[in-house]
Amino acid sequence: MIQIIQSYGTMILAALGQTLILCLLSLLVAMVIGLIFALLNVSHNRGCNFIGTVYVDAVRGVPLIVLAYFIYFGLPAGMKMLGAVDFRLTALQAGTAALSMNCGAYMAEIIRAGIQSVDRGQMEAARSLGLTYGQSMRKVVLPQAIKTMIPSIINQFIITLKDTSILSVIGFPELTNMGKTISGNTFKSLETWAIIGIVYMVVIVSLSKAAKRVERKLNVGRL
Amino acid sequence: MVKENAKIMVHVENLKKDFDKLEVLKDISIDIKEGEVVVLLGPSGSGKSTFLRCINRLEEATSGKIIVDGMDITDKHTDINKAREDIGMVFQHFNLFNNKNVIDNIMLAPVELKKMTKEEAHDKAVKLLERVGLADKAEAYPSQLSGGQKQRVAIARALAMNPGLILFDEPTSALDPEMVGEVLDVMKELAGAGMTMIVVTHEIGFAREVADRIVFVDGGYIVEQGTPDEVINHPKEKRTIDFLNKVL
Ligand SMILES: Nc1ncnc2c1ncn2[C@@H]1O[C@H](COP(=O)(O)OP(=O)(O)OP(=O)(O)O)[C@@H](O)[C@H]1O
Ligand SMILES: [Mg+2]
Repeated sequence: MIQIIQSYGTMILAALGQTLILCLLSLLVAMVIGLIFALLNVSHNRGCNFIGTVYVDAVRGVPLIVLAYFIYFGLPAGMKMLGAVDFRLTALQAGTAALSMNCGAYMAEIIRAGIQSVDRGQMEAARSLGLTYGQSMRKVVLPQAIKTMIPSIINQFIITLKDTSILSVIGFPELTNMGKTISGNTFKSLETWAIIGIVYMVVIVSLSKAAKRVERKLNVGRL
Repeated sequence: MVKENAKIMVHVENLKKDFDKLEVLKDISIDIKEGEVVVLLGPSGSGKSTFLRCINRLEEATSGKIIVDGMDITDKHTDINKAREDIGMVFQHFNLFNNKNVIDNIMLAPVELKKMTKEEAHDKAVKLLERVGLADKAEAYPSQLSGGQKQRVAIARALAMNPGLILFDEPTSALDPEMVGEVLDVMKELAGAGMTMIVVTHEIGFAREVADRIVFVDGGYIVEQGTPDEVINHPKEKRTIDFLNKVL
């Protein structure tokens, strides 16, 4: 155990860094995707609703690992058929894309539920004053929706952090992939996976503790 | 308070409004003059709210024509947001913006719609708060106010846009009895100052005292209308009489 930490400690930390980068990038993109599709879903335009529902259902209906394979291997193959021979994605790009699309679909549902939890009268009052739909959303509805969304967003954050491990399958040098390398080199599976597991656990538990504190602060500010 | 040669502020012609198969408003026509206070009476479900909400297009009329201050509300090409700047609305459940304090509730629309600079909007909001008797509540959040105070802020918020017309949808129905008076007093003051108002209310005393005209709606039509004396003291239609017997 000590031996593994001694020889692989810095590499494990580097891999953790990669995991966090992948996770944060994906979350940022997922927030944007989620907001866009949530707004499509709550709009009063049937066409928009349709696009929003199709995206959310489609992405949630595909396992993340399949989505990752599709983007990493399938997309370049498809581009080649279209004549773009040089099209390649790095594992980080493909991983971020797959994870953001996946997380974005769940985020869209979280944001939609948040918007719908705000009393309809808030939007109506804003519109009755002459504010546009967009202004009313930005200034009145979304700020109130965000507060109710925060626990679910944090939850999703943790799920996405765990999901990064799935992207070891496309060779992205994140934590789980590092685990594979180490156990392959040392043949010490038990120790290796225990260490990797603990690293994940420490990060996730401290994140959720921090999140709880933020959440409590927000609830106080609410009154 | 209607002036001698006041212009027509609201013109409604053959207004019809269905919700799918439910015909709520069947054929409503009415002209309301500038400065006039019209109180709308009618049984629950008779479409009073729907009528008000058609006037600022929170609901889209199925057919018919609505003109407010020269703007054709029923015309698809009309900029409805521009039109709404001129039509205030006060809701039964106040609908103050919960994420904003009192002064920001009042300032939001004038600033966001570039009607005023921040400073102008702030000055105006302070004056309006004085007018509704809440000068000391500028920094309070809606959750810290009583129902009566919330509704007075909501009225101030509507006034901040300098509307030519204000729609009131049962502004005192959600209030504890002891707070009804403070809201009605603000509305009386507004009426006295010449504001054009359409008020849905069950406060017959208010109607009697403040209304220039009372309109009784039922079954999708205007059943009877006239001065408070005509409609409340000497109703002609059976449905009006039945209704008044229930609420008086
Ligand atoms: N958005 C809607 N969709 C479907 N039906 C509706 C909608 N809004 C109102 N209605 C129906 O239209 C009818 C009239 O409603 P409205 O709220 O205008 O009545 P009201 O006279 O204001 O009643 P109350 O005194 O109870 O407020 C009711 O039967 C109501 O259920
Ligand atoms: Mg109503």
